[in-house]
Amino acid sequence: MLIFANVNTAIEQIWANKLRSVLTVVGIVIAVTSTITVVSVVQGFTGYVSDFLQGLGTNAMWIWPERPGGEAGKRLGRVTLDLRDVEALRAECSTLRSISPLIPRPSVAVALGRTEITTQLEGVSAEYHAIRNLPVEVGRPFAFLDVERRHPICILGREVLRKLDAGDDLVGRTLLVDGRRFRVVGILAEKGSVLGNSLDDLVLIPYTVAMTMYPATRTSIALTARAFDEEQVPEAKAQIVSLLRRRHRLEAYQPNDFQIRTQDELLTAFNSISIAATAVLAGIVGISLLVGGIGIMNVMLVSVTERTREIGLRKAVGARRRDIMLQFLTEAVGLSLLGGGLGVGLGYALTAIVSLHPQMVDVAVPLWAVALGFGISAGTGVVFGILPALKAALLNPIDALRHE
Amino acid sequence: MIADDPLPLDTPATVGESPPVILLRQITKTYLMGTEKVRALDGVDLRIDANEFVAIMGPSGSGKSTLMNIVGLLDVPTSGQYWLAGRDVARLSQSEQARERGRRIGFVFQTFELLPRQTALRNVELPLVYSGVRDRRDRAVEALRQVGLADRMGHRPNQMSGGQRQRVAIARALVQRPALILADEPTGNLDTRTSGEILDLFDDLHAKGQTIVLVTHEPDIAARCRRVVRLRDGRVESDDPSGPDGGTVSC
Repeated sequence: MLIFANVNTAIEQIWANKLRSVLTVVGIVIAVTSTITVVSVVQGFTGYVSDFLQGLGTNAMWIWPERPGGEAGKRLGRVTLDLRDVEALRAECSTLRSISPLIPRPSVAVALGRTEITTQLEGVSAEYHAIRNLPVEVGRPFAFLDVERRHPICILGREVLRKLDAGDDLVGRTLLVDGRRFRVVGILAEKGSVLGNSLDDLVLIPYTVAMTMYPATRTSIALTARAFDEEQVPEAKAQIVSLLRRRHRLEAYQPNDFQIRTQDELLTAFNSISIAATAVLAGIVGISLLVGGIGIMNVMLVSVTERTREIGLRKAVGARRRDIMLQFLTEAVGLSLLGGGLGVGLGYALTAIVSLHPQMVDVAVPLWAVALGFGISAGTGVVFGILPALKAALLNPIDALRHE
Repeated sequence: MIADDPLPLDTPATVGESPPVILLRQITKTYLMGTEKVRALDGVDLRIDANEFVAIMGPSGSGKSTLMNIVGLLDVPTSGQYWLAGRDVARLSQSEQARERGRRIGFVFQTFELLPRQTALRNVELPLVYSGVRDRRDRAVEALRQVGLADRMGHRPNQMSGGQRQRVAIARALVQRPALILADEPTGNLDTRTSGEILDLFDDLHAKGQTIVLVTHEPDIAARCRRVVRLRDGRVESDDPSGPDGGTVSC
């Protein structure tokens, strides 16, 4: 009963002072808008990246040579990881289903006729397709023989094709990669982009060929490997570490001269980025809520003063302190929910605008973010509405009725 | 002063009879003005029975307003006893005071005190909101009919004349079927003709059995009442049960 009457009065008051109400809640609007937008975008990226990493397989691992930091690192000899290591891993690690060297070159020149473009190159093995989940759409993948016999063949990503202004008929033709002739045998299926980087701007060649072209990479090979299943990942990791340490003759006190990362660890690393983004968000939201809350408190104090006689009258006709308290709290919460509503609307709009960017990942506003937006705004209303409501409730009815 | 009190101190209600609407015994009220104590009321005894129509008069500073505030449960006496419709109300808690005030007393103010954005009907419903009555609309319509405003229910205060506004305020006072209507200078903001109409309405309500206490400083308004209580310096100066004009009024 009283609740209905309170809500009614609150709506009337807010509506009667439209401009004042809207100006009052700007702080809350900013808080809720940023919550909705940032949460949605971070969620979008997290979802995309974790899908991407999941797509690589939960049992995938990456290994690369790296000199450890500090004094211990400086005292190590040459830091290497070569083909004999790869063969040893392949032969001795029982938990590994497959393993592929990965020789990345971030920038190579590709020429087709007179067109010359720059792209990135990866020297890989035949197993690489399966490990990285890079299916070939047109043509064929690498065969073991291609790698073993160092066939000068390549597989192109879709973006490279676009840059070369060529179609699927490029398969079977020859182009130049860093001045060497390669025959195109396949085209990869489209992968899209992550954080604005196209995953299709890529040329694959057999790693054996890459090692011939770029001799420096022979002793500095990166690897991707895959355990038989997820449960075996920790054991696989242990096997790799133990084998490589043994082969590199590292003493017990010496640190690893290589790095090994599992898909799980990459996911954790990425999650820590989104936690950082969330922390920044929390700062913005906290400050705007404080500003918004003080705005609400201020306008409610003004409202209490303006309506002192009304409060006196209400008390004269039987309103108890808690009735008046509730009425003004309802009004403060109504105001803040107005801010929350506007913020949610604006958040949706901003998210929609952000999604228009062509390289943006799919962004959806999660329902819990909307609930959170309304929750924090209602909470602000309660916290900052208490003081004005108390002031109203404690007014002496005689003085209130005599108030000019 | 009440010369002879028919009721024992601890049992204000006589068995078999309806209790007096108001029974005040030795009510005092002292304020602290800076360091000086001011006695606004200095031992007031007053008994008002059901269906009385009483004017309380007195110059400013006589304690008239203080007495009205105490009778209206807007204030508590410093000492003394107060029974309202048989219930000891001198030392109620804040929320009980509000409850009793809402149920037993209907206020009518000089400046009407209507909520400007609400219709007459909603204004009249207001006391029922706080007492949790369910059929608010019916009761409010009934009260507006009693004051002759059944056709103005949807109007806002700014669409009505002063007299109509005061009628809405009286309907609001009536809607709880209070033991007592407490009117503080109800005609102070109205012209003579409209004042007459409002007083006619009070007469009418009185004839139907309503107990009314009217606070005023105008003798010709007080003349319309059946009994006039005069205050001076916080005491009852005179209590004339036959009206100011020497008992010519018929009941």
